[in-house]
Amino acid sequence: MKGTHLGEFQEIVLLTIMVLDDNAYGVSIKREIKTRADRNISRGALHTALSRMEEKGLIKSWQGEANKLRGGMPKRYYEVTNKGVNALKEAKDVRDQLWNEVPRLRLQHNYG
Amino acid sequence: MSKVELFPAPPKRWTRFFEWFCNEVYFEELQGDLEERYFRNCGRFGVRKSKAIYRKEILRMFRPSVIKKIKTQYQLNNSAMYKNYLMVAFRNLSRNKLFSSINIVGLAVSMAVGLLAITFVSEIHSYDQFHDFKSDIYRINNLRINIGRSTTDYATTSLLMGRRLQEESTNFDMIVPIFNGFNGDLIHDEKHFQIKGQYAGEDFLNLFTFPLLSGNPELALSEPFTVLITEELAIKIFNATDVVGEVLEKNEELYTITGVLKNPPLTSHIKFDAIASLKTFEAKPSPRRTRILNDWGTMWSSYVYGRLSKNSNLQRAQEELDRIAQEENAKVEHFRIEPHMESLTDIFPGDGKNNQMSIVMPKRSINQVVILALIVLFSACFNYTNLSIARSLRRAKEVGVRKVVGAKKAQLYFQFILEAILVSVLALVIAFFLFKLIRPGFIELNSYTLSTTTLELTPKIYLYFSIFALLIGFLAGTLPALLMSKIKTIHVLKGISGRSSSKGFNLRRVIVGLQFTLSVGFVILVGLAQKQYKYALNFDLGYTTDNIVNIYLDGRDPSLLSTELKKIPGVESLSTIYFLHSTGTLNSDYVSNIQGTDSVITYNNYIDYDYLDNMNHKIIAGQNFTADGPANQAIVTESLLQKLSLGNPAEAIGKEFKFYNQNRLIVGVVENFHYGTIFNTLQPYAFILDRDREMYYMNVKLNGNDILGTMDKIEKAWTQLYPEEEFYATFYSDAIERTYSGISSSIKTFGLLAFVAISISLLGLLGIAVYTTQSRIKEITIRKVLGASLNNLVLLLSKNFLIIFLISSVVAIPLAYSLFKSLVLRNIEYRISVGFWELAGEALIIIIIALLTIGSQTFRAAKSSPAVNLRDE
Repeated sequence: MKGTHLGEFQEIVLLTIMVLDDNAYGVSIKREIKTRADRNISRGALHTALSRMEEKGLIKSWQGEANKLRGGMPKRYYEVTNKGVNALKEAKDVRDQLWNEVPRLRLQHNYG
Repeated sequence: MSKVELFPAPPKRWTRFFEWFCNEVYFEELQGDLEERYFRNCGRFGVRKSKAIYRKEILRMFRPSVIKKIKTQYQLNNSAMYKNYLMVAFRNLSRNKLFSSINIVGLAVSMAVGLLAITFVSEIHSYDQFHDFKSDIYRINNLRINIGRSTTDYATTSLLMGRRLQEESTNFDMIVPIFNGFNGDLIHDEKHFQIKGQYAGEDFLNLFTFPLLSGNPELALSEPFTVLITEELAIKIFNATDVVGEVLEKNEELYTITGVLKNPPLTSHIKFDAIASLKTFEAKPSPRRTRILNDWGTMWSSYVYGRLSKNSNLQRAQEELDRIAQEENAKVEHFRIEPHMESLTDIFPGDGKNNQMSIVMPKRSINQVVILALIVLFSACFNYTNLSIARSLRRAKEVGVRKVVGAKKAQLYFQFILEAILVSVLALVIAFFLFKLIRPGFIELNSYTLSTTTLELTPKIYLYFSIFALLIGFLAGTLPALLMSKIKTIHVLKGISGRSSSKGFNLRRVIVGLQFTLSVGFVILVGLAQKQYKYALNFDLGYTTDNIVNIYLDGRDPSLLSTELKKIPGVESLSTIYFLHSTGTLNSDYVSNIQGTDSVITYNNYIDYDYLDNMNHKIIAGQNFTADGPANQAIVTESLLQKLSLGNPAEAIGKEFKFYNQNRLIVGVVENFHYGTIFNTLQPYAFILDRDREMYYMNVKLNGNDILGTMDKIEKAWTQLYPEEEFYATFYSDAIERTYSGISSSIKTFGLLAFVAISISLLGLLGIAVYTTQSRIKEITIRKVLGASLNNLVLLLSKNFLIIFLISSVVAIPLAYSLFKSLVLRNIEYRISVGFWELAGEALIIIIIALLTIGSQTFRAAKSSPAVNLRDE
């Protein structure tokens, strides 16, 4: 389907947001990706991905509370929309199909 | 304790930097996240590392998704806004007619000067740009060192150098020798045509880009007695351009026309009506021609141009020139020649080499014009800036409202710049007409501009003009636009705009002060130059030039003329001399005592028996030349006696000294006198008697009655003797005046610009005075009602200005004086003495004029009726 093609990084970010459930904001997303995928990404790069996905309607966001640790700046929480969940499922389906099509022998040989 | 109190805040400067470039929509979220991470990191890695991570994160924020969207504000349809800007600008211009006209007229006058400078400079820099090989062509120049005497830079080179290069050069693939001497009358069909031209080598047309209308460029100058003429000359002589094969006569030689050239561009430093083949010199030699072709030292009016070959370079070419020069210098005595190369495009404007082919504008005078134009321009821009800032209070409300409606700073800035540009474009239109008006005057400013510039307008110049107007608008508008766009909405709406004005007022004072300093400085400079000029003209020379008329004899036998002139009753006495004193011409030779030691340079001249009496020279000892005395008589000045240790004047009579290579007998001693100009110091001087010498000038002293009638009779006498010859006679004072024409033309330039600068700054002052009195009219009226006297009020209004004037004068006077010393007096030996009142007096005059300007406004304000001013409140 057009328009919902996900990049690899976007996919990870979307999944992370879903994992974090209602505690998904910039710092927590970044930390989760760091611990789970061992990828150190810059906040700027994360912002690019988030804003692009928000533009596409895959995620939505709302302004949260501020605290002292943040110099009085409010958090922004992210949530995956239905469209985002669909896109993730689609991506998963494509991959699953492809995995299923890989000949067993080749799998054993090369990846087993 | 929380982490926030435990650790220092993240680097502030970086945060501010981030805020500056970050899109404000995202800033809070991103900055918050960064800060949270920073404090968490501090707990884990320590402050140092956390700060480093913070900085790195900020640098990595440089991505399109984060950076401010610069374009968003221009995405609207802007044409309506521009229309509004223009409309508001026009309304403002027409509402304040006085200010607008001061601005526009002031700018127009100074822009006219600016246009002049642009046209002038761009014309000067387009010289010789039309040649195809311009970057490869070099002229060989000579530095001639007369051993023990003088070193002079010439634009010329001997033709011998040219020939040797032609024969043996490995660095130049084309050499064109030129002899500047095809001048005089061309004769066709018994009609004479006065021309200027050169003899040139056969590759002339291959090296330079002068296109032929007809004729074969390969063969054009390859034969002796061939000549190329310009289209203009062809039409003048034949009234046709198809004249190849026709024959012209010059000095009893016949030249065949082998080509007609398109008129050479005015921007060529090689100027000519005709070019004759240099081969003529070999084909029909004469002693003079042979010397010009073959003598190493005869380099006074011959030029060598060469094209540097592609596989050579400047250094190798220079080495080759040095080698040739070394070989030739070894064959001569008394002088040495050092050749140098000058690129074709560097020849004009020049750096003061002697014997250029045609007049070359010195770089110095170009810089002068540019600097002066810039000063005048700045002055006018100051006016605009100043008046706009002054009026900015009136428009503060407009700015406030625009801001409330949503205008950004940049938009307001743009609006006010646009207004300034509008004014400068209007001024440009007027300036253009002014420019056309003053152009002829500028061209006639001095001999350089007269012969090298036309100030013609080309499309390129029009483009420059438009760019210039934009720039001026930008320059004048920047400061007011910045101030206006910074006005705080809240201040305007609360009505406390007065606060922001005090800052502007200081700036305004500084600008008025600067302008005034310029005016005073200009006036002092001009005044001093004028005094020096007057001084040079009325300088006590040590002899009398009153009522003396000099007739140019050009070597004719004076006896015939003198017999005729003596019959005229208005003629008192007459004498003859080799060349005139005090007009810039000098002749010097080595003089030593009779043993040949103690040699000194001595200036000298040849005179007849009557000269000293006729010119009122004071003879201190001995007597005048006598007709029956020996042939080697000489009369010397006191200073020569000291140099040669010949004792006091009385003792020196009868002694001999060596003059050049002959012995001379001192028969008289005269008082020291000024034979040179104010640029020369007094050196030893000798009058030499040479009975065979041709004299060039006759000095006729008139007795003062009916000078015009006498001059008429003298001219009649001349025409009877020499009916074919032109009569050249000038009063001595006029000849001296002409000697200092350089000074007088700079006085003219400076004077004109001083006038412009003062007028502009007075205009500005008037504007400021009008504004100040208008904005304080209520205050003044109330003071008046409460009993302030007229004097009090005028003083109150003028006090600030007076302080500015005094400070400016204190700055300007020493500045102008030191400029005068370094620019004008540098080469002058006989200077005016400058006292305090010479300087302060001029400043005072300007201050008085300025005070009168202000006074006209303050008086009116102080005298106005309180009823009128207070009624509308």
